[in-house]
Amino acid sequence: MPAPLHLDHPEHHGGHACLWVALLPLALFSALAWGVLHHELPWQGEVAWVPSLGVSLAFRIDGLSAQMLALITGIGTLVFVYASGYLAHEARRGRLLGVLLLFMLAMIGAVTADNLIVLFLFWELTSLSSFLLVGFKHDDAHARASARQALLVTMGGGLALLGGFVLLARMAGTWSLSGVQAAAPAIMHDPLLPLAVVLVMIGAFTKSAQFPFHFWLPNAMSAPTPVSAYLHSATMVKLGIYLLARFDASFNDLPLWESTLITVGTITAVWGAVLALRERDLKRILARTTVSALGTLTLLIGLSTPGAGLAVAAFLFAHALYKAPLFMVAGNIDHATGTRSIDHLMGLRHAMPWTAAVAILAGLSMAGLPLSFGFVAKDVMAVAKAEAELFALASYALVLVNAIAVAVAGVAAIRVFWGPPEWPRGKVHEAHWTMLAPPLLIVLLGLEFELIPNVANPLLLAAAQSISPALGQVDLQATHDLATLLSTSGIAVGIGLLLFVFWDHLHEVLHRQHWLDRYGPAALYEALLHGLARLAAWHTRAIQHGGLTGYLRLMLAALLAMGSFGWLLTVPALQLEWQWAPQGWAWLAACVLIATGALAAVSLRDRLAVLMASGLIGYGSAVLFLFAGAPDLAFTQFMVETALVVVAASLLPQFVGAAPSPARRRWRATDLALAVAAGLGCFVLLTQLAGLTPDTQLADWFAANSLPEGRGRNVVNVIIVDFRALDTLGEIAVVAFSLLAAMPLLAGLRGDRQP
Amino acid sequence: MTPRSALLAFAARPLYWLLLAAALWILLRGHNEPGGGFIGGLVAVAASSLVAIALDTAAARRLQPLAPLPLAMLGVGLAMLSGLAGAATGAPYLTHLWTAWGVSTVMLFDAGVFLAVWGALTGYVYALLADNGQAAQ
Repeated sequence: MPAPLHLDHPEHHGGHACLWVALLPLALFSALAWGVLHHELPWQGEVAWVPSLGVSLAFRIDGLSAQMLALITGIGTLVFVYASGYLAHEARRGRLLGVLLLFMLAMIGAVTADNLIVLFLFWELTSLSSFLLVGFKHDDAHARASARQALLVTMGGGLALLGGFVLLARMAGTWSLSGVQAAAPAIMHDPLLPLAVVLVMIGAFTKSAQFPFHFWLPNAMSAPTPVSAYLHSATMVKLGIYLLARFDASFNDLPLWESTLITVGTITAVWGAVLALRERDLKRILARTTVSALGTLTLLIGLSTPGAGLAVAAFLFAHALYKAPLFMVAGNIDHATGTRSIDHLMGLRHAMPWTAAVAILAGLSMAGLPLSFGFVAKDVMAVAKAEAELFALASYALVLVNAIAVAVAGVAAIRVFWGPPEWPRGKVHEAHWTMLAPPLLIVLLGLEFELIPNVANPLLLAAAQSISPALGQVDLQATHDLATLLSTSGIAVGIGLLLFVFWDHLHEVLHRQHWLDRYGPAALYEALLHGLARLAAWHTRAIQHGGLTGYLRLMLAALLAMGSFGWLLTVPALQLEWQWAPQGWAWLAACVLIATGALAAVSLRDRLAVLMASGLIGYGSAVLFLFAGAPDLAFTQFMVETALVVVAASLLPQFVGAAPSPARRRWRATDLALAVAAGLGCFVLLTQLAGLTPDTQLADWFAANSLPEGRGRNVVNVIIVDFRALDTLGEIAVVAFSLLAAMPLLAGLRGDRQP
Repeated sequence: MTPRSALLAFAARPLYWLLLAAALWILLRGHNEPGGGFIGGLVAVAASSLVAIALDTAAARRLQPLAPLPLAMLGVGLAMLSGLAGAATGAPYLTHLWTAWGVSTVMLFDAGVFLAVWGALTGYVYALLADNGQAAQ
């Protein structure tokens, strides 16, 4: 008999402070359930968003979307209940739950979107919220590094995905997801299709932690356990699988699609499972098997038989139904004992009987044993694999994967709970009901789905039919005869039990393989990151050294180099025709002003005088603008020049006495040459530009439409506030936000000056 | 800082209001004559800078309706807001509306530009001018 629950343990007061948050996912789940029962799938709707680009807020819910939605809202409800208990003593739980809600809405958007741009936006939003959740313990350096890794890997994949979407949309002529699917047969021989498909696959592989992008997922376990159970096992990491399943019907005739999915899926499944044996942390062990399960799902999508769709749908469901509870079990253990290392966990069944019961039921499902939904999934998967006549190596690989899953199930459900208790009684206590009811409910649901298949079957079949439209009506009931059981999972269970018994020996052997840490994708990622930091440091030292003269020198040299290069490319004959064309005294005065200012600036020594002289150049150009038909520009130039000189002059006294740097003398000849070359270059450019007849279409249009359309006679102002108002809005936002960014720097500047 | 000119300090406040009036005039006439929010905003920055240099930055801050950053954000907010009216009628965002008396959302937008420039640039000016013993907050 399990001991009674410690409902009123002092440590758990206020254990359900945020329980009400779970009402939102519950309401959504109920709405979904009601909808599925009363209305035929698919449902769709569309609101115009950016009609000029063909982007609309289009949503479509078919069987596959409905299954994902059931997982997101159903598991979501229970995760929120669990989190209210798990985070009872966390001061920042409001923030965590807020981001978790944002994540849930992003997931809902991503699996229902029927427009590639909308899907991409929600996809990125899930990556972003995952980043915030993984880095939740932001005072922990490891958590920060893990969050950055998850963000860089998934967002890098997101970029590839966007590229793939753009290519697909161009080929299909529509941004609509269902439109692209409909156009798939027509674009099957487009030379760009392989590239688009590869980019989409990279996006999905990063999100679903496929080899070689798998390494971020175990590190993401730095997140609090409710997050791991929700994002990193049940929902977000399935988003890549969802996308692959979504496109499978369109692309499964492509050999590239099929072979890549099978290869990558198999490698991920095996590698993830083997690496699980290297871990001691319960959560990381589970994360490795999640990677392995995601690999299996990718492999199943790669199979082109109709049964594969059903296998994907069933295993997707089964995995969420056992992995989420197992994570919650790990969380309960961590909460009660303060450790997740399996070296220190034993005999917890006395202290935590309910958690142990959950672990056993979930473990049964993970091992694919009878009386669990995992058994049904294993059965369907075996049928799919038999249909596809998978090549032998992949088949053997999957037996090994299943065996390791059995062993891990044994570790999570038996090893930590059985054996002599390592913890004194009374010191370790059972979890609060909010942390027991959710996993218990999920495993019981799994049990029910196996015993009463009619509950889940319609949803699974609908999902399977969206993945493989060729699938007819099939019976999902597991074939409970002994022969099938033995042939499908008997061998795996046998090997798994052996692995379980010799776990510690295997772990020792694998743990000693240090080359696994030195080489491999994770090490490559680290090397790239460090290389980037070193490159940035070198670049900053070499170019952004803080010497303003050096900046100017570099910019002029670069401009001259680019200009000369462009000139050489086009090789126009230099046409110089000298001609005296008097433009009036104002022009002459402006030119004299500019020339005087320039000459004075280079010959004077006093800094204030140099500043004033350079102001003359600005005033001279302003006069030029004034008489060249740009009074607004002239006006602005006068203001800017005045403000610049005034502010610079008021700063100058602080540099009194600072001698010119010794480097200056050495550079003088170079500077002279550069300045003369830049001046000559400008001169040549201007003389050549003057010979061109500019395209005045835009200018004419603005001049003609300013008064009738913009109701203003000042064309410049009408352009700024009306025709190009969005640009202006962006510009003033940049101006205002630049101050926000500069304020800490300016405050630092002031601090430096203080004695 | 260098000793201040008594004459400039005396004239700073009247000049400030004069310059500010000029700035507003430039802003208001901008749609039909040379001028507009950007230039008007720069004149207002000059007015505030004058006070900041002739007296001190604290005096210049007191004469401004809001602190620089909130002022700049208010400006961006006004400009954003001005586009909503057009969007509410079903036209694209930032389509401007006009009433019979020449009052329009354009004016609101340009005022936003004015405030954003005034706020952001005075923020920089004050921070650069503030010397020892003068907090910039």
